[in-house]
Amino acid sequence: MKIAVVVQRYGSAINGGAELHARYIAEHLARHADVEVLTTCATDYVTWRNELPAGVEPINGVPVRRFRVKHERDPRVFAKRSEKVFKQRHSFGDELDWLNAEGPTSPALVDYVARHAGDFDFCLFFSYRYYHAFYGARAAAGRAILVPTAERDATIGLSIFQPLFRSVRAVMYNSSEERAMINAVSHNEAVPGVVVGIGSPVPTSTQPNRFRQKHHIRGPFAVYVGRIDQNKGCAELFDYFQAYLKDPAGKLSLVLIGNSLLDVPKHPRIRHLGFLDDADKFDAMAAAELLIMPSYYESLSMVALEAWAVGRPVLANGRCDVLKGQCIRSNGGLYYDNVSEFLGTLEALEQNRWLAGSLGRNGRQFFRDHYDWPVIERKYLDMFARLSNEAPRPAADPLPGWFDRRRQDLPPAEAVLAQLPTGPAVASYEAAGRRRA
Amino acid sequence: MADFSVRSDSVNVEQIMEQIRTRIREKRGVDYTEQQIRELAAVKLEKFLDPRGVRSDLLTQFKAQRAQEPVEVPNFAFEDATLFESHRGPVQWLRKLLLPILKLFFNPNPLIQALHIQSKLNTINGERETARRQLDALYYELIHNLVLETTRLGIDVQNLKMRLESVSSRLEFNERRARALESVVVYKPSPGDEERPARQDRGDRTDRGERSERGERDRGDRSARHQSHPQSQQRQYAPPPPQAAAASTPSAVAASPETAGAAPATPNPQTASGGATPAEGPGQRSRRRRRRRGRRGGGSAAALMGAPGAATAPTPESSGGESAPLPGEEGEPFDDADDEAGGDGQSGEAPPAVGAMATHHDASAEPAHSTAPATPSPAPAGDTLPEQRSAPPPGPGNGDTDPQ
Repeated sequence: MKIAVVVQRYGSAINGGAELHARYIAEHLARHADVEVLTTCATDYVTWRNELPAGVEPINGVPVRRFRVKHERDPRVFAKRSEKVFKQRHSFGDELDWLNAEGPTSPALVDYVARHAGDFDFCLFFSYRYYHAFYGARAAAGRAILVPTAERDATIGLSIFQPLFRSVRAVMYNSSEERAMINAVSHNEAVPGVVVGIGSPVPTSTQPNRFRQKHHIRGPFAVYVGRIDQNKGCAELFDYFQAYLKDPAGKLSLVLIGNSLLDVPKHPRIRHLGFLDDADKFDAMAAAELLIMPSYYESLSMVALEAWAVGRPVLANGRCDVLKGQCIRSNGGLYYDNVSEFLGTLEALEQNRWLAGSLGRNGRQFFRDHYDWPVIERKYLDMFARLSNEAPRPAADPLPGWFDRRRQDLPPAEAVLAQLPTGPAVASYEAAGRRRA
Repeated sequence: MADFSVRSDSVNVEQIMEQIRTRIREKRGVDYTEQQIRELAAVKLEKFLDPRGVRSDLLTQFKAQRAQEPVEVPNFAFEDATLFESHRGPVQWLRKLLLPILKLFFNPNPLIQALHIQSKLNTINGERETARRQLDALYYELIHNLVLETTRLGIDVQNLKMRLESVSSRLEFNERRARALESVVVYKPSPGDEERPARQDRGDRTDRGERSERGERDRGDRSARHQSHPQSQQRQYAPPPPQAAAASTPSAVAASPETAGAAPATPNPQTASGGATPAEGPGQRSRRRRRRRGRRGGGSAAALMGAPGAATAPTPESSGGESAPLPGEEGEPFDDADDEAGGDGQSGEAPPAVGAMATHHDASAEPAHSTAPATPSPAPAGDTLPEQRSAPPPGPGNGDTDPQ
């Protein structure tokens, strides 16, 4: 079996969510099939500048073929087109222009997919929102499997992606919430799909004391792992945690791991350690009392899964449906919607060790049941086997003509998003569990 | 938050979250901690204490609003013929001429009506805008004044709080001072007092009740004697030896009336009571004398407190007869004065007369009168007693030693 993994960026040093996801999947599927990665020469997701040479290079035993990006992103143009398609009535052509402005625009990559799609049994396209997935999936019609990594943002409301969701051979969802959202926006229930997610290279043993000694950390602490950014809810986390620090009964400190794009408050109980390697990261999680995930938009929080993998509870932002749903399904974490709930849940996890321990154990079991690598690999292989036995779906509808592309009849994407169902998809999860039983 | 009904094998996150939310609701409704209340109060107070922080935006807006000149909104008049008017006569004539033809193509009347209505609306809106601007200015003034007053009130409240704290602390200090004084002025039993309780039962208490009566009688008798027989009293008065008076230092002078008067003072009550009480023997007198000395030997309060000058008045006279019996020690602070006064004037002999002087000096605590042996008449001393009590002269161990 020969599999193509098509992703916008790829590399050992690239730690973006979807990119890391693609690398893990490629490397694990490489044990069962011939895998080739098709990607661009860009490493920066803002500019899409060509920084790596075009051509083929092996990374961790997987051949990676890179293609040049035609043009970098112009932030001004991109912002203008985003404003148009997200907030105003617009046309199909406006959305295509937005996609082109977003990047990474690599016609060479799409041409290669179109010419060589027949060489692969299946092409896995990561991240529905980018140029390569939209045009590549159309080019590899009949072999395209989409890993959307969709978040609950306005992009999901763009009309150009609805045919994409309906035309691919299968969709590998990250979470039940993501599946519910895509089903609601594109009505692609007929397309084979499965909630897979992703595993993580969790070490067999961790050394929390080593981490404490290395970074001179004493006392109990909560850990945040990820980019320290406003978009990740870190500003809100700082506000809430500073409110917590006013409580003399609270003993927790906050340890931040990751590169910071935001000013970290100066407080003796807020420590920023910067970017750490995986060993330190897992040791930190093992040493922590809990992991805090303040992000509003997540399609799947790998960090939360990793915390559960080491038996630590998670305190998640309840306004992120995916995180909230994961906490409820796993019974491995609590969530908050406001500062009062943040303080209450943090206090509960800090003071009730039995509760924290139970949540951690549940989370670990949840990880083993659903996100351990053998489980993930099996789900992919089962899907490949299923699709091999099924007749290919009809090709995607052709793109609209000149007049139709200019008809200003599409609603703002934000308005579409607002109409989508919200909340964790617990009911569907339970129903699926009953069906499996 | 520690009271969760969770079991390890059946943790339900939704139930736990419901419990936490219930707890938060309860806490919000009822259970504000002292710290939370303080924080809320502090935040409010801080805002009020910083008037610039309160009204910075308001002031800016207010100024900006005032700086803006009301914009003159252009308006137009639109009548039936406005559309076809022209400053050139021929053009206007031509337009009127072609008007029927024009009306063949479209009907200009709705357009004319709409523009006419719009012109009226513009006028009305302009008037409204003017009125609103005036009202806005008033609102801004009102809010500005309100904020000022609120700020002032906040500061007043803070000042009053501080003053209340100051008064409370002062009151507390005074209370503590009073308690400290009470605890310092304590009775120190002297060796002579040890044998006293037994005698108190027998003699002192019974005597004391009689003393007041005797004192009254004695004063009456004395005044009568002074008025009727000054000469005889002079004769009865036994002046001390001149060399003793001359050689006596102030303290010695102060001691002399006691030594002179105390001896005859003790038998006086008995003699004053006439046949009611038998006369005391010399042993009784000396015992009584010793008892008095012992009673006064405890020292004054000033001496106990280490007041300046207390050490210079070691004698009972200088320390004052009123102050010698300490309050709480014998229950009645002025009993001794009365006692001695009562016991002094009972006898018609010379020693009792001297004793009367001595006791008066003792009661008035004026050492100057202790030197009165030089003065032949004791009458002034007796007469000045009430005044001296009401306004004690400055002297060591006088007013200072009085715990009252």
